[in-house]
Amino acid sequence: MKDRIKLTDMSRRDRKPLAHLENQDLMPLPYPLEAPEKDHAWAVLSDKVTGSVECGLDDTCAINIPQPKTREDEDELVKKFLAGLDKLFTKENNWTFLQPLVLSMEHCAKCQTCSDACHIYEASGENELYRPTFRSEIVRRLYFKSVKHGGVLSAWQHGDIDVNWPLVARLAELAYRCNLCRRCAQTCPIGADNGLVAHELRKVFSQELGINAKECHDNGSVLQLKVGSSTGMSSLVVKDNIEFIDEDMMDRTGIKVETPWDVEGADVLLIHNAGEILAWPENPGAFALILSAAGIKWTLSSELAGYDSINYGLWYDDAQFARVAIKHAQAAKKLGVKKIVLGECGHAHKALSVIADRVLTGDLNIPRESSMTLLRDIVMNDRLKLDPSRNAFPVTLHDPCNLVRLMGVVEPQREIVRKICPQFREMEPHGVDNYCCGGGSGFAIMSGNNFQDWRFHVSGRKKMEQVLNAFAECMDPSINKYICAPCSNCKGQFRDMLAYYDLWNKNRILYGGLVELIVNCMVDAKPGFIDWEWH
Amino acid sequence: MSTFTHGNVSVEVDEDGFMLEPEKWNEDVAKALATTEGVNELGEEHWKLVHYLRNYFLQFGVAPMIRKLCKETGYDLKKVYELFPSGPAKGACKVAGLAKPTGCV
Repeated sequence: MKDRIKLTDMSRRDRKPLAHLENQDLMPLPYPLEAPEKDHAWAVLSDKVTGSVECGLDDTCAINIPQPKTREDEDELVKKFLAGLDKLFTKENNWTFLQPLVLSMEHCAKCQTCSDACHIYEASGENELYRPTFRSEIVRRLYFKSVKHGGVLSAWQHGDIDVNWPLVARLAELAYRCNLCRRCAQTCPIGADNGLVAHELRKVFSQELGINAKECHDNGSVLQLKVGSSTGMSSLVVKDNIEFIDEDMMDRTGIKVETPWDVEGADVLLIHNAGEILAWPENPGAFALILSAAGIKWTLSSELAGYDSINYGLWYDDAQFARVAIKHAQAAKKLGVKKIVLGECGHAHKALSVIADRVLTGDLNIPRESSMTLLRDIVMNDRLKLDPSRNAFPVTLHDPCNLVRLMGVVEPQREIVRKICPQFREMEPHGVDNYCCGGGSGFAIMSGNNFQDWRFHVSGRKKMEQVLNAFAECMDPSINKYICAPCSNCKGQFRDMLAYYDLWNKNRILYGGLVELIVNCMVDAKPGFIDWEWH
Repeated sequence: MSTFTHGNVSVEVDEDGFMLEPEKWNEDVAKALATTEGVNELGEEHWKLVHYLRNYFLQFGVAPMIRKLCKETGYDLKKVYELFPSGPAKGACKVAGLAKPTGCV
């Protein structure tokens, strides 16, 4: 049996990883992935990586923190971190999240209800390092010791921790072993929020030390604020691509689509996650067709960030978050639209609808709506002629955490799939009790080093179990199956997981969005919009 | 970041092997990068894809939509995977000297 990892191990000065997982250690999966010995081996970090960046936590490395050259450099970083921690607990610097954070520090009863709820902890084979309270307990000890300046008595009461660079470096990586799905927070009888603790840590590291995931920051929010989209698409490119999509939709459905740009006074400004346009063009294409057929007065915006709803700052940096949220609102204000509707992207929903509510003031606080409710109104009010028999294949519905658990948008998408998918089956559990796809909080786009191996084996594992169970009776490759995932990030994770385990080729499990299912059964469209081709 | 060396070719690449300085690309670099993708010889069909990607990238600064790539080269996705086993983004784009795709793609 392996030694149990202790909290104090986090301060160990050597760079040897604290945890190592073997496939045999992990939560078992159902057929056809039940044999751990047949599972892929994990890629091993190269000597070059382990010799130059901090990877003393576990088998992987998400954020590539360069190893400091001298002890003085280390001490400087620790000092910055502790100063950042102080700021987290002041109203002036953290008025948005101070209250729930303090509550989580002061009141956790260590009952471990949250551990039972955490898919990462469970999938890892209950590895102590991934217990939701492990990370929080370190922060709690730092809070009492460094922020509250507790003395010997406090250390005895709350537990002590050695504060040094190895601890801080490991804590930074550990902040990126949580999907921020906040299933733990939902189940906590007191309301302590371990997901928030991970989020606040990421924030300190990004805002105070410039440490973050480059996929989210340099190639994410920074790129978006510079050229208009995290994909690198300028407004010129995005318009060209949408024109191509419109033509493609005409070919595939026989219905002429013309996506409107920059229409002043439109009822709806639709903002997609721009990743859809590049990677899953049938999704924005289907939106265009549905909204036009339903007679909605809608538009896209070609303003900077106005055509890309992503707001990666949500996951790691409040300042970047606010900058992007304001761009979104300004694009809507410039056109004078009645409301913003968010396409199929979970984090964009929560970012602009909920969190941005504290940032957008005065005339920037333009009404925001989920595409789920708009689509529900269209479908349930029979504004389109639909033939559900065209969707006569097994369908299950994934609940994106940001949209469902964290916003309460549970039923609209279900009403639609129940109406148009005769073989719809729920995953268990679902709705607000769903499990994260495993790609949440940026993991779906983080692929440096061998981070994907961790994402496939650990964070994505519980969802894979749910999918395989939902389709257990129809795994035969003669039956095409569809995971409906109305979120770009979740789709990216499903695509990568299904490819990793070859579940499309061997068992014909495909994934896609919600609007594709609607267009697939539109009577006026040519049959076969969902073409059962891997994409 | 590291240096990728193959024969006379030496270029800076990221941890996934994508070029960090795409402007330094030429056909010899493409041949060298292709070996990292398990493609030891670039045939006419490989070049057609690579040149399409390269020209699009030079014009627009990003990779094209995959569907556009398929439509304009006449190769379906299956064919693209046959030519570059890790696929259009991770395989073909890498060989064509494009930077790693960014955002939720």
